[in-house]
Amino acid sequence: MMKHFIKSLRLKNHLLTAISFLIPVVCGAGFMIAIGLAMGDNSSADLTKSFTFWDALAKLGGTGLGMLPMIISTGIAFSIADKPGIAPGLIVGLAAEAIGAGFIGGLIGGYMAGWLVLGTIKYVKLPNWANGLMPMLIVPFIASFIGSIIMVYIIGGPIGWLTTGLTHYLSTLNGTSKLFYGLMIGVLASVDYGGPINKTVFAFVLTMQASGVNEPITALILVNMATPLGFTAAYFFGKMFRKNIYTKVEVETIKTAFPMGIFEIVEGVLPIVLNDIVRCVVATGIGGAVGGAISMYFSANSKVPFGGLLAIPTMTKPFGFIIGLVANVIVTGLVLALIKKRVTAEDENKEDTATEADLNMDDIQIS
Amino acid sequence: MMKIVGVCACTVGIAHTYIAQEKLEKAAKKLGYEIHLETQGTIGTENALTQEEIDSADISILAIDVKIKGMERFDNITKITVPTDIAIKSPTKLIEKAVEVAKSRSKGIKA
Repeated sequence: MMKHFIKSLRLKNHLLTAISFLIPVVCGAGFMIAIGLAMGDNSSADLTKSFTFWDALAKLGGTGLGMLPMIISTGIAFSIADKPGIAPGLIVGLAAEAIGAGFIGGLIGGYMAGWLVLGTIKYVKLPNWANGLMPMLIVPFIASFIGSIIMVYIIGGPIGWLTTGLTHYLSTLNGTSKLFYGLMIGVLASVDYGGPINKTVFAFVLTMQASGVNEPITALILVNMATPLGFTAAYFFGKMFRKNIYTKVEVETIKTAFPMGIFEIVEGVLPIVLNDIVRCVVATGIGGAVGGAISMYFSANSKVPFGGLLAIPTMTKPFGFIIGLVANVIVTGLVLALIKKRVTAEDENKEDTATEADLNMDDIQIS
Repeated sequence: MMKIVGVCACTVGIAHTYIAQEKLEKAAKKLGYEIHLETQGTIGTENALTQEEIDSADISILAIDVKIKGMERFDNITKITVPTDIAIKSPTKLIEKAVEVAKSRSKGIKA
């Protein structure tokens, strides 16, 4: 019963929808602040006074990234309640930001705003003559009002303390625990190639960065770059071992996956992964563990949440990042070149005949 | 002939969406069914479905991780909703399942 109820809330679906809105903002603003910081080094210029071109870029990018709690709350509320969810989602997200509950506050506030809208539409009944007031006044007002009050007076404070506590804990980690956390982030962020696990880790490390801890997100940037670069390295390692590990089509895929990897887009390798899931995931996971651990251990610290190569100039400790990146690329590449089977003439010609996984009826919804 | 329509949409909207589309199209072709899939990636809607196409189809497959645009177009057709990775991992089985559902719901009107 409980399980059925939780499933009917579609929590993950709403979060992923919000993240799909969030990512272009992170990319657009992230690249702006990355370029601005790399060339100018000041993201807090006052644009009503004197400023340089790079200051303006960094400032605008930073402002965009500061909007993320509102974007996640608006996205979730929209996913739950459609258009009427947008206004309350935005306002409750602002409430979360104002009370210091940040990204996690925005996330919880988004669900709250969305359900409040649905509840208001369902339970508040007006006489016919007043029906026009419903979408214009009643729904936005009630949902925004109740949601913001709950955020500011009840849940915002505790969420803020929780975030601060977690941030404090993470910023005082010593060597061994840093290695451990880096390893965890590395494995989790890499093994599903930009899928839901990666995005969940992303939401988490982004929260950390919003509260001033830059190391976790740097580990994620690193493994997202290193995976496609590692797949490219595997091609050359394969050549060294006189072993062709990719089909001709896959080699073409590598040619587009490599430049995407430089800018931290991991999805380019997916077509290769899907042809040989287990071996690819093993190689990626081992490499990611190494890269994430090294990055965290040396406290590589990107000031931006996205950017790949462009994130490196924003770091005060770029060498830890570069060492970790090289290690991750070599490990992923070597493991992949070693465990992947030699491509035969048959593989070159075969059409997708890989055996399919069985359907799990839990994943399928018929309506 | 069995006609399938559907939408693919993933979180980031640059890879899984299009891989799911390709896998389902290949699987449907292999099984001898007609299929038309719309994609809603980050770039926007491509290969859009018209209302007529949806109304004339036997079944719809929504391989989606996120909320999609134009859901109301599918109000009058049976929907098989799955995450994109199911469509990617088991496209043939998913289509067979969809066809089975379509047949059981229309009791042999079309085959």
